[in-house]
Amino acid sequence: MGKSISVAGLSAWYGDQQTLQSIDIELKANTATAVIGPSGCGKSTFVRCLNRMHETVPGARMEGRVRLEEEDLYRMHPVDVRRIVGMVFQKPNPFPTLSVFDNIALALRLSGVRRRSELAERVERSLRMAALWDEVKDRLRQPATELSGGQQQRLCIARALAVEPEVLLMDEPASALDPISTLRIEELIRDLKSRYTIVIVTHNMQQATRVADRTAFFLNGELIEFGDTSQVFEHPRDRRTEDYVCGRFG
Amino acid sequence: MSQRKRGEMHVMSQRRASRWADIGFRGVAAVCSAMPLVVLAAILAVVVAGAMPSIRYMGWRFITDITWNLGNLYGAISVHGGVRAPAGASYGALVFLVGTLASSAIALVIAVPVSVLTAAVLAYQVRGPLQSLLSFLVELLAGIPSVVFGLWGILVLAPWVGSQLGPGIAHLFGWVPFLGGSAGTGLGLLTSGLVLALMITPIITAAVRDLLMQVPRLYREGGIGLGLTSWEVLRHVCLPIVREGLIGAVALGWGRAMGETMAVLMVGGSALNQLPQNLYSPISTMAAVIANQLDSALTDASHMAVHALAELAALLLVLTVVTNLVARLLVHRVGWTAGARGVRV
Repeated sequence: MGKSISVAGLSAWYGDQQTLQSIDIELKANTATAVIGPSGCGKSTFVRCLNRMHETVPGARMEGRVRLEEEDLYRMHPVDVRRIVGMVFQKPNPFPTLSVFDNIALALRLSGVRRRSELAERVERSLRMAALWDEVKDRLRQPATELSGGQQQRLCIARALAVEPEVLLMDEPASALDPISTLRIEELIRDLKSRYTIVIVTHNMQQATRVADRTAFFLNGELIEFGDTSQVFEHPRDRRTEDYVCGRFG
Repeated sequence: MSQRKRGEMHVMSQRRASRWADIGFRGVAAVCSAMPLVVLAAILAVVVAGAMPSIRYMGWRFITDITWNLGNLYGAISVHGGVRAPAGASYGALVFLVGTLASSAIALVIAVPVSVLTAAVLAYQVRGPLQSLLSFLVELLAGIPSVVFGLWGILVLAPWVGSQLGPGIAHLFGWVPFLGGSAGTGLGLLTSGLVLALMITPIITAAVRDLLMQVPRLYREGGIGLGLTSWEVLRHVCLPIVREGLIGAVALGWGRAMGETMAVLMVGGSALNQLPQNLYSPISTMAAVIANQLDSALTDASHMAVHALAELAALLLVLTVVTNLVARLLVHRVGWTAGARGVRV
Protein backbone atom coordinates (compact mmCIF):
# COMPACT_ATOMS: atom_id res chain seq x y z
CA MET A 1 0.00 0.00 0.00
CA GLY A 2 1.08 3.54 -0.64
CA LYS A 3 2.08 5.90 2.12
CA SER A 4 1.35 9.57 2.54
CA ILE A 5 4.03 12.22 2.23
CA SER A 6 4.11 15.42 4.18
CA VAL A 7 6.48 18.18 3.24
CA ALA A 8 7.20 21.15 5.50
CA GLY A 9 9.28 24.21 4.73
CA LEU A 10 11.09 22.62 1.81
CA SER A 11 13.57 24.95 0.12
CA ALA A 12 16.16 23.87 -2.44
CA TRP A 13 19.15 25.42 -4.15
CA TYR A 14 21.44 24.70 -7.06
CA GLY A 15 24.57 26.56 -6.09
CA ASP A 16 23.41 30.08 -5.27
CA GLN A 17 20.17 29.82 -7.12
CA GLN A 18 17.11 28.99 -5.06
CA THR A 19 14.69 26.81 -6.98
CA LEU A 20 12.17 25.99 -4.24
CA GLN A 21 10.87 28.41 -1.63
CA SER A 22 9.54 26.92 1.55
CA ILE A 23 7.04 24.41 0.18
CA ASP A 24 4.41 22.89 2.49
CA ILE A 25 2.25 20.15 1.03
CA GLU A 26 0.49 16.95 2.11
CA LEU A 27 0.25 14.16 -0.45
CA LYS A 28 -2.33 11.55 0.50
CA ALA A 29 -1.63 7.85 0.25
CA ASN A 30 -2.84 6.04 -2.86
CA THR A 31 -3.60 9.12 -4.84
CA ALA A 32 -2.01 10.44 -7.98
CA THR A 33 -0.86 14.02 -7.62
CA ALA A 34 0.07 16.04 -10.69
CA VAL A 35 2.70 18.74 -10.34
CA ILE A 36 2.26 21.36 -13.05
CA GLY A 37 3.86 24.66 -13.87
CA PRO A 38 5.96 26.38 -16.51
CA SER A 39 9.55 25.32 -17.23
CA GLY A 40 11.91 26.26 -14.45
CA CYS A 41 9.20 26.56 -11.81
CA GLY A 42 10.87 23.96 -9.59
CA LYS A 43 8.48 21.08 -10.18
CA SER A 44 11.26 18.63 -11.05
CA THR A 45 13.37 19.82 -8.15
CA PHE A 46 10.37 19.25 -5.90
CA VAL A 47 9.98 15.56 -6.78
CA ARG A 48 13.73 15.09 -6.76
CA CYS A 49 13.74 16.22 -3.14
CA LEU A 50 11.20 13.54 -2.29
CA ASN A 51 13.64 10.70 -3.02
CA ARG A 52 16.76 12.70 -2.17
CA MET A 53 17.94 12.64 -5.77
CA HIS A 54 18.37 16.40 -5.62
CA GLU A 55 21.36 16.16 -3.28
CA THR A 56 23.29 13.89 -5.67
CA VAL A 57 23.86 16.81 -8.01
CA PRO A 58 27.11 18.59 -7.15
CA GLY A 59 26.33 21.94 -5.53
CA ALA A 60 22.71 21.17 -4.78
CA ARG A 61 21.29 21.43 -1.25
CA MET A 62 17.96 21.59 0.51
CA GLU A 63 16.33 22.59 3.78
CA GLY A 64 13.10 21.55 5.38
CA ARG A 65 11.44 18.28 6.26
CA VAL A 66 9.96 15.48 4.20
CA ARG A 67 8.13 12.74 6.04
CA LEU A 68 6.74 9.47 4.78
CA GLU A 69 3.92 8.71 7.22
CA GLU A 70 5.86 9.23 10.47
CA GLU A 71 9.39 8.67 9.13
CA ASP A 72 11.67 11.59 8.38
CA LEU A 73 13.22 10.78 4.98
CA TYR A 74 16.14 13.09 5.68
CA ARG A 75 17.10 11.14 8.77
CA MET A 76 17.21 7.86 6.85
CA HIS A 77 20.07 6.67 4.67
CA PRO A 78 19.44 8.05 1.15
CA VAL A 79 19.87 4.60 -0.38
CA ASP A 80 17.03 3.31 1.80
CA VAL A 81 14.85 6.30 0.91
CA ARG A 82 15.16 5.52 -2.79
CA ARG A 83 14.10 1.94 -2.23
CA ILE A 84 10.85 3.19 -0.70
CA VAL A 85 10.38 6.14 -3.05
CA GLY A 86 10.89 4.94 -6.61
CA MET A 87 11.47 7.19 -9.58
CA VAL A 88 10.81 7.21 -13.32
CA PHE A 89 12.65 9.75 -15.42
CA GLN A 90 11.91 12.12 -18.25
CA LYS A 91 13.67 9.99 -20.83
CA PRO A 92 13.60 6.20 -20.77
CA ASN A 93 16.90 5.16 -19.20
CA PRO A 94 17.11 1.36 -19.07
CA PHE A 95 20.67 0.25 -18.33
CA PRO A 96 22.05 0.03 -21.85
CA THR A 97 24.36 -2.90 -21.27
CA LEU A 98 21.78 -5.15 -19.62
CA SER A 99 19.03 -7.35 -20.99
CA VAL A 100 15.34 -6.70 -20.36
CA PHE A 101 15.41 -9.30 -17.59
CA ASP A 102 18.59 -8.03 -15.96
CA ASN A 103 17.40 -4.43 -15.98
CA ILE A 104 14.78 -5.49 -13.48
CA ALA A 105 16.73 -8.24 -11.77
CA LEU A 106 19.81 -6.10 -11.01
CA ALA A 107 18.38 -4.23 -8.05
CA LEU A 108 16.71 -7.41 -6.77
CA ARG A 109 19.98 -9.34 -6.91
CA LEU A 110 21.80 -6.52 -5.15
CA SER A 111 19.21 -6.52 -2.41
CA GLY A 112 19.84 -10.20 -1.81
CA VAL A 113 17.33 -12.07 -3.95
CA ARG A 114 19.42 -15.03 -5.11
CA ARG A 115 17.01 -17.82 -6.02
CA ARG A 116 16.42 -17.99 -9.77
CA SER A 117 12.80 -18.95 -9.44
CA GLU A 118 12.09 -16.03 -7.13
CA LEU A 119 13.92 -13.62 -9.43
CA ALA A 120 12.00 -14.85 -12.46
CA GLU A 121 8.75 -14.62 -10.57
CA ARG A 122 9.36 -11.07 -9.38
CA VAL A 123 10.58 -9.91 -12.78
CA GLU A 124 7.42 -11.31 -14.36
CA ARG A 125 5.20 -9.71 -11.74
CA SER A 126 6.83 -6.31 -12.26
CA LEU A 127 6.53 -6.56 -16.02
CA ARG A 128 2.88 -7.51 -15.70
CA MET A 129 2.24 -4.55 -13.43
CA ALA A 130 3.85 -2.29 -16.01
CA ALA A 131 1.67 -3.88 -18.73
CA LEU A 132 4.75 -4.97 -20.61
CA TRP A 133 4.90 -8.71 -19.99
CA ASP A 134 3.00 -9.84 -23.07
CA GLU A 135 5.18 -7.75 -25.34
CA VAL A 136 8.56 -8.81 -23.97
CA LYS A 137 8.05 -12.29 -22.51
CA ASP A 138 9.89 -13.82 -25.49
CA ARG A 139 12.56 -11.13 -25.54
CA LEU A 140 13.73 -11.16 -21.93
CA ARG A 141 17.32 -11.93 -22.90
CA GLN A 142 17.54 -9.21 -25.50
CA PRO A 143 19.21 -5.89 -24.79
CA ALA A 144 16.77 -3.45 -23.26
CA THR A 145 17.83 -0.85 -25.80
CA GLU A 146 16.17 -2.89 -28.56
CA LEU A 147 12.73 -2.12 -27.17
CA SER A 148 10.76 0.84 -28.48
CA GLY A 149 10.82 4.10 -26.54
CA GLY A 150 7.43 3.48 -24.94
CA GLN A 151 8.39 -0.07 -24.02
CA GLN A 152 11.66 1.18 -22.55
CA GLN A 153 9.76 3.63 -20.37
CA ARG A 154 7.39 0.91 -19.16
CA LEU A 155 10.47 -1.24 -18.49
CA CYS A 156 11.78 1.59 -16.31
CA ILE A 157 8.45 1.64 -14.48
CA ALA A 158 8.67 -2.13 -14.02
CA ARG A 159 12.23 -1.72 -12.78
CA ALA A 160 11.10 0.83 -10.22
CA LEU A 161 8.15 -1.33 -9.12
CA ALA A 162 10.29 -4.46 -8.73
CA VAL A 163 11.90 -3.19 -5.54
CA GLU A 164 8.41 -2.71 -4.07
CA PRO A 165 8.39 0.98 -3.25
CA GLU A 166 5.55 2.79 -1.45
CA VAL A 167 5.74 5.90 -3.56
CA LEU A 168 6.38 6.32 -7.28
CA LEU A 169 7.73 9.62 -8.55
CA MET A 170 7.40 10.28 -12.26
CA ASP A 171 9.24 13.21 -13.79
CA GLU A 172 7.44 13.95 -17.08
CA PRO A 173 7.41 10.23 -17.86
CA ALA A 174 5.71 10.59 -21.22
CA SER A 175 7.37 13.71 -22.55
CA ALA A 176 9.69 11.75 -24.84
CA LEU A 177 6.99 9.37 -26.07
CA ASP A 178 4.49 9.25 -28.93
CA PRO A 179 0.74 9.72 -28.20
CA ILE A 180 -0.10 6.00 -28.15
CA SER A 181 2.72 5.19 -25.76
CA THR A 182 1.68 8.19 -23.68
CA LEU A 183 -1.86 6.84 -23.34
CA ARG A 184 -0.55 3.45 -22.25
CA ILE A 185 1.57 5.11 -19.56
CA GLU A 186 -1.43 7.12 -18.39
CA GLU A 187 -3.59 4.00 -18.20
CA LEU A 188 -0.85 2.40 -16.19
CA ILE A 189 -0.72 5.30 -13.75
CA ARG A 190 -4.49 5.02 -13.16
CA ASP A 191 -4.04 1.30 -12.42
CA LEU A 192 -1.05 1.75 -10.17
CA LYS A 193 -2.47 4.36 -7.86
CA SER A 194 -4.53 1.82 -6.00
CA ARG A 195 -1.26 0.38 -4.75
CA TYR A 196 1.15 3.31 -4.74
CA THR A 197 1.21 6.97 -3.94
CA ILE A 198 2.07 8.60 -7.24
CA VAL A 199 3.53 12.02 -7.89
CA ILE A 200 3.73 12.92 -11.55
CA VAL A 201 5.38 16.00 -12.96
CA THR A 202 3.87 17.05 -16.23
CA HIS A 203 3.81 20.01 -18.55
CA ASN A 204 0.80 18.56 -20.28
CA MET A 205 -2.35 19.84 -18.58
CA GLN A 206 -4.67 17.36 -20.29
CA GLN A 207 -2.48 14.64 -18.90
CA ALA A 208 -2.90 16.07 -15.43
CA THR A 209 -6.69 16.04 -15.78
CA ARG A 210 -6.63 12.50 -17.14
CA VAL A 211 -4.50 10.84 -14.47
CA ALA A 212 -4.39 12.94 -11.33
CA ASP A 213 -6.78 13.16 -8.38
CA ARG A 214 -4.98 16.18 -7.03
CA THR A 215 -2.97 18.87 -8.75
CA ALA A 216 -0.30 21.21 -7.44
CA PHE A 217 0.62 24.35 -9.40
CA PHE A 218 4.17 25.65 -9.01
CA LEU A 219 5.46 29.02 -10.16
CA ASN A 220 8.95 30.44 -9.62
CA GLY A 221 9.71 27.91 -6.94
CA GLU A 222 6.54 28.54 -4.98
CA LEU A 223 3.51 26.34 -4.51
CA ILE A 224 0.71 28.60 -5.72
CA GLU A 225 -2.27 26.30 -5.51
CA PHE A 226 -2.99 22.75 -4.50
CA GLY A 227 -6.34 21.01 -4.62
CA ASP A 228 -8.54 18.48 -6.37
CA THR A 229 -7.67 18.37 -10.05
CA SER A 230 -11.16 19.37 -11.13
CA GLN A 231 -11.15 22.34 -8.74
CA VAL A 232 -7.68 23.54 -9.84
CA PHE A 233 -8.61 23.39 -13.50
CA GLU A 234 -12.22 24.51 -13.35
CA HIS A 235 -12.33 26.89 -10.40
CA PRO A 236 -8.79 27.99 -9.69
CA ARG A 237 -8.60 30.13 -6.58
CA ASP A 238 -5.48 32.01 -7.60
CA ARG A 239 -5.33 34.34 -10.58
CA ARG A 240 -1.92 32.98 -11.66
CA THR A 241 -3.25 29.42 -11.69
CA GLU A 242 -6.12 30.52 -13.83
CA ASP A 243 -3.82 32.29 -16.27
CA TYR A 244 -1.64 29.20 -16.49
CA VAL A 245 -4.34 26.56 -16.91
CA CYS A 246 -6.10 28.74 -19.47
CA GLY A 247 -2.88 28.84 -21.45
CA ARG A 248 -2.18 32.53 -21.04
CA PHE A 249 1.47 31.80 -20.24
CA GLY A 250 3.80 28.86 -19.84
CA MET B 1 39.99 47.66 -67.99
CA SER B 2 36.94 48.71 -66.08
CA GLN B 3 37.01 48.79 -62.37
CA ARG B 4 34.40 46.06 -62.24
CA LYS B 5 36.31 43.76 -64.53
CA ARG B 6 39.43 44.22 -62.49
CA GLY B 7 37.47 43.33 -59.38
CA GLU B 8 36.19 40.13 -60.97
CA MET B 9 39.65 39.08 -62.01
CA HIS B 10 40.85 39.69 -58.50
CA VAL B 11 38.11 37.46 -57.14
CA MET B 12 38.94 34.75 -59.67
CA SER B 13 42.63 34.78 -58.86
CA GLN B 14 41.72 34.59 -55.19
CA ARG B 15 39.51 31.61 -55.93
CA ARG B 16 42.30 29.92 -57.82
CA ALA B 17 44.68 30.53 -54.94
CA SER B 18 42.27 29.08 -52.45
CA ARG B 19 41.83 26.03 -54.66
CA TRP B 20 45.58 25.49 -54.64
CA ALA B 21 45.61 26.00 -50.91
CA ASP B 22 42.95 23.32 -50.58
CA ILE B 23 44.96 20.87 -52.65
CA GLY B 24 47.96 21.65 -50.50
CA PHE B 25 45.92 21.13 -47.35
CA ARG B 26 44.63 17.79 -48.57
CA GLY B 27 48.13 16.68 -49.43
CA VAL B 28 49.54 17.62 -46.06
CA ALA B 29 46.58 16.07 -44.26
CA ALA B 30 47.00 12.82 -46.21
CA VAL B 31 50.70 12.64 -45.39
CA CYS B 32 50.09 13.42 -41.73
CA SER B 33 47.29 10.91 -41.35
CA ALA B 34 49.45 8.22 -42.93
CA MET B 35 52.27 8.92 -40.48
CA PRO B 36 51.26 6.53 -37.70
CA LEU B 37 51.02 3.63 -40.13
CA VAL B 38 54.25 4.55 -41.92
CA VAL B 39 56.17 5.02 -38.70
CA LEU B 40 54.90 1.77 -37.22
CA ALA B 41 55.71 -0.13 -40.42
CA ALA B 42 59.15 1.46 -40.68
CA ILE B 43 60.07 0.69 -37.07
CA LEU B 44 58.79 -2.85 -37.38
CA ALA B 45 60.72 -3.35 -40.63
CA VAL B 46 63.98 -2.01 -39.19
CA VAL B 47 63.68 -3.98 -36.00
CA VAL B 48 62.73 -7.24 -37.71
CA ALA B 49 65.43 -6.85 -40.35
CA GLY B 50 67.93 -6.15 -37.59
CA ALA B 51 66.76 -9.21 -35.74
CA MET B 52 66.97 -11.67 -38.65
CA PRO B 53 70.55 -12.93 -38.02
CA SER B 54 69.73 -13.47 -34.37
CA ILE B 55 66.52 -15.28 -35.26
CA ARG B 56 68.53 -17.62 -37.50
CA TYR B 57 71.20 -18.05 -34.84
CA MET B 58 68.95 -18.78 -31.86
CA GLY B 59 65.63 -19.90 -33.34
CA TRP B 60 63.00 -20.63 -30.72
CA ARG B 61 65.68 -20.90 -28.06
CA PHE B 62 65.59 -17.14 -27.96
CA ILE B 63 62.39 -17.30 -25.94
CA THR B 64 62.92 -20.63 -24.16
CA ASP B 65 66.53 -20.30 -23.03
CA ILE B 66 67.56 -18.42 -19.93
CA THR B 67 71.24 -17.99 -20.72
CA TRP B 68 72.19 -14.55 -21.99
CA ASN B 69 75.86 -14.43 -22.80
CA LEU B 70 77.45 -12.19 -25.36
CA GLY B 71 80.32 -14.69 -25.75
CA ASN B 72 83.97 -13.91 -25.96
CA LEU B 73 83.95 -10.52 -27.66
CA TYR B 74 87.73 -10.53 -28.08
CA GLY B 75 88.10 -14.12 -29.25
CA ALA B 76 87.45 -15.96 -32.46
CA ILE B 77 84.17 -15.56 -34.31
CA SER B 78 82.48 -18.81 -35.06
CA VAL B 79 79.94 -19.54 -37.75
CA HIS B 80 76.68 -21.16 -36.68
CA GLY B 81 73.92 -22.03 -39.13
CA GLY B 82 75.29 -19.59 -41.66
CA VAL B 83 75.60 -16.63 -39.30
CA ARG B 84 78.64 -15.30 -37.47
CA ALA B 85 78.71 -14.96 -33.72
CA PRO B 86 81.35 -14.77 -30.99
CA ALA B 87 82.35 -18.10 -29.52
CA GLY B 88 80.10 -19.16 -26.67
CA ALA B 89 77.44 -16.54 -27.41
CA SER B 90 73.94 -17.43 -26.29
CA TYR B 91 70.95 -15.13 -26.41
CA GLY B 92 68.20 -16.63 -24.32
CA ALA B 93 65.71 -13.94 -23.41
CA LEU B 94 63.29 -15.95 -21.29
CA VAL B 95 64.47 -14.25 -18.10
CA PHE B 96 63.73 -10.83 -19.57
CA LEU B 97 60.43 -11.95 -21.03
CA VAL B 98 59.32 -13.27 -17.66
CA GLY B 99 60.64 -10.15 -15.91
CA THR B 100 58.70 -7.90 -18.25
CA LEU B 101 55.46 -9.86 -17.98
CA ALA B 102 55.66 -10.39 -14.23
CA SER B 103 56.55 -6.81 -13.29
CA SER B 104 53.90 -5.33 -15.59
CA ALA B 105 51.31 -7.81 -14.30
CA ILE B 106 52.03 -6.77 -10.71
CA ALA B 107 51.80 -3.14 -11.78
CA LEU B 108 48.38 -3.75 -13.37
CA VAL B 109 47.02 -5.68 -10.41
CA ILE B 110 47.82 -2.70 -8.21
CA ALA B 111 47.18 0.16 -10.62
CA VAL B 112 43.86 -0.85 -12.18
CA PRO B 113 41.70 -0.91 -9.04
CA VAL B 114 43.39 2.21 -7.67
CA SER B 115 42.94 4.02 -10.98
CA VAL B 116 39.31 3.07 -11.40
CA LEU B 117 38.42 4.19 -7.89
CA THR B 118 40.40 7.42 -8.20
CA ALA B 119 38.76 8.09 -11.55
CA ALA B 120 35.32 7.49 -10.04
CA VAL B 121 36.05 9.99 -7.29
CA LEU B 122 37.35 12.54 -9.79
CA ALA B 123 34.42 12.07 -12.13
CA TYR B 124 31.53 11.81 -9.67
CA GLN B 125 32.40 12.74 -6.11
CA VAL B 126 34.32 16.00 -6.27
CA ARG B 127 33.56 19.11 -8.24
CA GLY B 128 34.64 22.64 -8.94
CA PRO B 129 38.12 23.78 -7.93
CA LEU B 130 38.84 20.58 -6.01
CA GLN B 131 38.10 18.49 -9.09
CA SER B 132 40.37 20.65 -11.22
CA LEU B 133 43.12 20.55 -8.62
CA LEU B 134 43.01 16.77 -8.19
CA SER B 135 42.85 16.22 -11.94
CA PHE B 136 45.81 18.52 -12.36
CA LEU B 137 47.79 16.62 -9.73
CA VAL B 138 47.06 13.32 -11.44
CA GLU B 139 48.26 14.69 -14.74
CA LEU B 140 51.30 16.16 -13.05
CA LEU B 141 52.12 12.71 -11.69
CA ALA B 142 52.00 11.35 -15.24
CA GLY B 143 54.60 13.89 -16.26
CA ILE B 144 57.28 12.95 -13.72
CA PRO B 145 60.35 11.68 -15.62
CA SER B 146 60.87 7.98 -15.13
CA VAL B 147 64.43 8.45 -13.92
CA VAL B 148 63.02 10.39 -10.98
CA PHE B 149 60.72 7.50 -10.18
CA GLY B 150 63.75 5.24 -10.46
CA LEU B 151 65.83 7.33 -8.11
CA TRP B 152 63.01 7.50 -5.59
CA GLY B 153 62.60 3.75 -6.00
CA ILE B 154 66.25 3.13 -5.14
CA LEU B 155 66.48 5.58 -2.29
CA VAL B 156 63.11 5.19 -0.60
CA LEU B 157 60.98 2.35 -1.90
CA ALA B 158 63.58 -0.41 -2.25
CA PRO B 159 64.92 -0.13 1.31
CA TRP B 160 61.37 -0.15 2.63
CA VAL B 161 60.39 -3.13 0.51
CA GLY B 162 63.57 -4.95 1.52
CA SER B 163 63.21 -4.32 5.23
CA GLN B 164 59.46 -4.00 5.85
CA LEU B 165 57.03 -4.84 3.05
CA GLY B 166 58.84 -7.88 1.61
CA PRO B 167 59.43 -9.62 4.95
CA GLY B 168 55.90 -8.67 5.97
CA ILE B 169 54.30 -10.29 2.94
CA ALA B 170 56.61 -13.31 3.21
CA HIS B 171 55.64 -13.67 6.86
CA LEU B 172 51.88 -13.37 6.31
CA PHE B 173 51.49 -15.14 2.97
CA GLY B 174 54.60 -17.31 2.95
CA TRP B 175 52.42 -20.39 2.43
CA VAL B 176 51.38 -19.08 -0.99
CA PRO B 177 53.80 -20.24 -3.69
CA PHE B 178 56.03 -17.43 -4.94
CA LEU B 179 55.31 -15.17 -1.97
CA GLY B 180 57.51 -16.89 0.58
CA GLY B 181 61.29 -16.91 0.90
CA SER B 182 63.96 -14.32 1.42
CA ALA B 183 62.96 -10.74 0.73
CA GLY B 184 66.44 -9.90 -0.56
CA THR B 185 67.71 -6.37 -0.90
CA GLY B 186 64.52 -4.75 -2.05
CA LEU B 187 65.76 -4.37 -5.59
CA GLY B 188 63.64 -6.80 -7.58
CA LEU B 189 60.29 -7.87 -8.91
CA LEU B 190 58.06 -6.43 -6.20
CA THR B 191 59.73 -3.03 -6.16
CA SER B 192 59.66 -2.89 -9.96
CA GLY B 193 55.98 -3.73 -9.95
CA LEU B 194 55.29 -1.03 -7.36
CA VAL B 195 57.24 1.64 -9.22
CA LEU B 196 55.54 0.70 -12.49
CA ALA B 197 52.16 0.77 -10.77
CA LEU B 198 52.87 4.31 -9.60
CA MET B 199 53.90 5.32 -13.09
CA ILE B 200 50.89 3.91 -14.93
CA THR B 201 48.25 4.81 -12.35
CA PRO B 202 47.98 8.44 -13.52
CA ILE B 203 47.72 7.36 -17.15
CA ILE B 204 44.94 4.86 -16.51
CA THR B 205 43.22 7.22 -14.06
CA ALA B 206 43.07 10.07 -16.56
CA ALA B 207 41.70 7.81 -19.29
CA VAL B 208 39.09 6.19 -17.05
CA ARG B 209 38.04 9.55 -15.59
CA ASP B 210 37.34 10.87 -19.07
CA LEU B 211 35.36 7.73 -19.87
CA LEU B 212 33.29 7.91 -16.70
CA MET B 213 32.51 11.56 -17.29
CA GLN B 214 31.02 10.58 -20.64
CA VAL B 215 28.46 8.29 -19.03
CA PRO B 216 25.17 10.18 -19.31
CA ARG B 217 23.93 11.31 -15.91
CA LEU B 218 20.54 9.85 -16.80
CA TYR B 219 21.89 6.29 -16.57
CA ARG B 220 23.57 6.96 -13.26
CA GLU B 221 20.38 8.45 -11.89
CA GLY B 222 18.55 5.35 -13.07
CA GLY B 223 20.77 3.35 -10.74
CA ILE B 224 20.72 5.87 -7.91
CA GLY B 225 16.92 6.07 -8.15
CA LEU B 226 16.66 2.32 -7.61
CA GLY B 227 18.48 2.63 -4.31
CA LEU B 228 21.84 1.35 -5.52
CA THR B 229 24.86 2.57 -3.56
CA SER B 230 27.54 4.68 -5.27
CA TRP B 231 29.73 1.61 -5.57
CA GLU B 232 26.90 -0.46 -7.07
CA VAL B 233 26.12 2.27 -9.58
CA LEU B 234 29.79 2.40 -10.56
CA ARG B 235 30.17 -1.36 -10.74
CA HIS B 236 26.90 -2.34 -12.42
CA VAL B 237 25.91 0.72 -14.43
CA CYS B 238 28.89 2.93 -15.28
CA LEU B 239 31.74 0.47 -15.73
CA PRO B 240 29.76 -1.84 -18.05
CA ILE B 241 28.89 1.15 -20.20
CA VAL B 242 32.54 2.13 -20.57
CA ARG B 243 33.82 -1.45 -20.64
CA GLU B 244 35.32 -1.18 -24.07
CA GLY B 245 37.21 2.00 -23.27
CA LEU B 246 38.23 0.59 -19.90
CA ILE B 247 39.94 -2.37 -21.49
CA GLY B 248 41.62 0.03 -23.88
CA ALA B 249 42.86 2.10 -20.94
CA VAL B 250 44.21 -0.98 -19.21
CA ALA B 251 45.96 -2.06 -22.40
CA LEU B 252 47.45 1.41 -22.64
CA GLY B 253 48.81 1.18 -19.12
CA TRP B 254 50.08 -2.33 -19.70
CA GLY B 255 51.91 -1.23 -22.82
CA ARG B 256 53.53 1.57 -20.89
CA ALA B 257 54.52 -0.79 -18.07
CA MET B 258 56.11 -3.28 -20.43
CA GLY B 259 57.98 -0.62 -22.34
CA GLU B 260 59.16 1.35 -19.32
CA THR B 261 62.95 1.31 -19.24
CA MET B 262 64.82 3.57 -16.88
CA ALA B 263 62.92 3.07 -13.65
CA VAL B 264 62.91 -0.73 -13.81
CA LEU B 265 66.53 -0.72 -14.88
CA MET B 266 67.29 1.13 -11.65
CA VAL B 267 65.16 -0.89 -9.24
CA GLY B 268 64.92 -4.29 -10.94
CA GLY B 269 68.15 -5.70 -9.58
CA SER B 270 69.50 -6.60 -13.05
CA ALA B 271 68.98 -10.34 -13.02
CA LEU B 272 70.93 -12.34 -15.58
CA ASN B 273 70.57 -16.02 -16.42
CA GLN B 274 68.19 -16.67 -13.57
CA LEU B 275 64.40 -16.75 -13.48
CA PRO B 276 62.77 -15.03 -10.51
CA GLN B 277 62.37 -17.49 -7.66
CA ASN B 278 59.87 -15.45 -5.71
CA LEU B 279 58.22 -12.05 -5.54
CA TYR B 280 61.41 -10.42 -4.28
CA SER B 281 63.95 -11.85 -6.74
CA PRO B 282 65.96 -9.55 -8.98
CA ILE B 283 64.61 -9.24 -12.48
CA SER B 284 65.48 -7.65 -15.79
CA THR B 285 62.95 -6.48 -18.32
CA MET B 286 63.46 -6.52 -22.06
CA ALA B 287 63.49 -2.74 -22.29
CA ALA B 288 66.01 -2.46 -19.46
CA VAL B 289 68.30 -5.06 -21.02
CA ILE B 290 68.31 -3.25 -24.36
CA ALA B 291 69.37 -0.04 -22.67
CA ASN B 292 71.81 -1.76 -20.36
CA GLN B 293 73.55 -4.01 -22.85
CA LEU B 294 73.71 -1.84 -25.93
CA ASP B 295 77.08 -0.43 -24.96
CA SER B 296 78.81 -3.80 -24.73
CA ALA B 297 76.84 -5.15 -27.66
CA LEU B 298 78.29 -2.49 -29.91
CA THR B 299 81.80 -3.83 -29.27
CA ASP B 300 80.82 -7.19 -30.77
CA ALA B 301 82.68 -7.37 -34.07
CA SER B 302 80.20 -9.90 -35.48
CA HIS B 303 77.31 -7.55 -34.63
CA MET B 304 75.35 -10.55 -33.39
CA ALA B 305 74.81 -8.99 -29.96
CA VAL B 306 73.18 -5.98 -31.58
CA HIS B 307 71.02 -8.27 -33.68
CA ALA B 308 69.97 -10.08 -30.51
CA LEU B 309 68.99 -6.77 -28.90
CA ALA B 310 67.02 -5.92 -32.04
CA GLU B 311 65.21 -9.22 -31.67
CA LEU B 312 64.47 -8.30 -28.09
CA ALA B 313 63.06 -5.00 -29.31
CA ALA B 314 60.99 -6.79 -31.96
CA LEU B 315 59.64 -9.15 -29.33
CA LEU B 316 58.73 -6.23 -27.08
CA LEU B 317 57.03 -4.44 -29.94
CA VAL B 318 55.08 -7.55 -30.92
CA LEU B 319 54.12 -8.11 -27.30
CA THR B 320 52.67 -4.62 -26.89
CA VAL B 321 50.85 -4.76 -30.21
CA VAL B 322 49.46 -8.20 -29.39
CA THR B 323 48.32 -7.06 -25.93
CA ASN B 324 46.44 -4.22 -27.51
CA LEU B 325 44.88 -6.42 -30.17
CA VAL B 326 43.90 -9.13 -27.70
CA ALA B 327 42.37 -6.52 -25.43
CA ARG B 328 40.28 -5.11 -28.24
CA LEU B 329 39.34 -8.56 -29.46
CA LEU B 330 38.24 -9.56 -25.98
CA VAL B 331 35.92 -6.61 -25.85
CA HIS B 332 34.18 -7.65 -29.03
CA ARG B 333 33.90 -11.26 -27.95
CA VAL B 334 32.47 -10.65 -24.50
CA GLY B 335 28.72 -10.62 -24.66
CA TRP B 336 26.57 -8.91 -27.23
CA THR B 337 27.53 -5.46 -28.33
CA ALA B 338 24.86 -4.92 -30.96
CA GLY B 339 22.47 -2.87 -28.91
CA ALA B 340 24.88 -1.57 -26.33
CA ARG B 341 25.41 2.13 -26.47
CA GLY B 342 28.85 1.96 -24.97
CA VAL B 343 31.29 4.79 -24.67
CA ARG B 344 34.48 4.17 -26.59
CA VAL B 345 37.87 5.81 -26.77
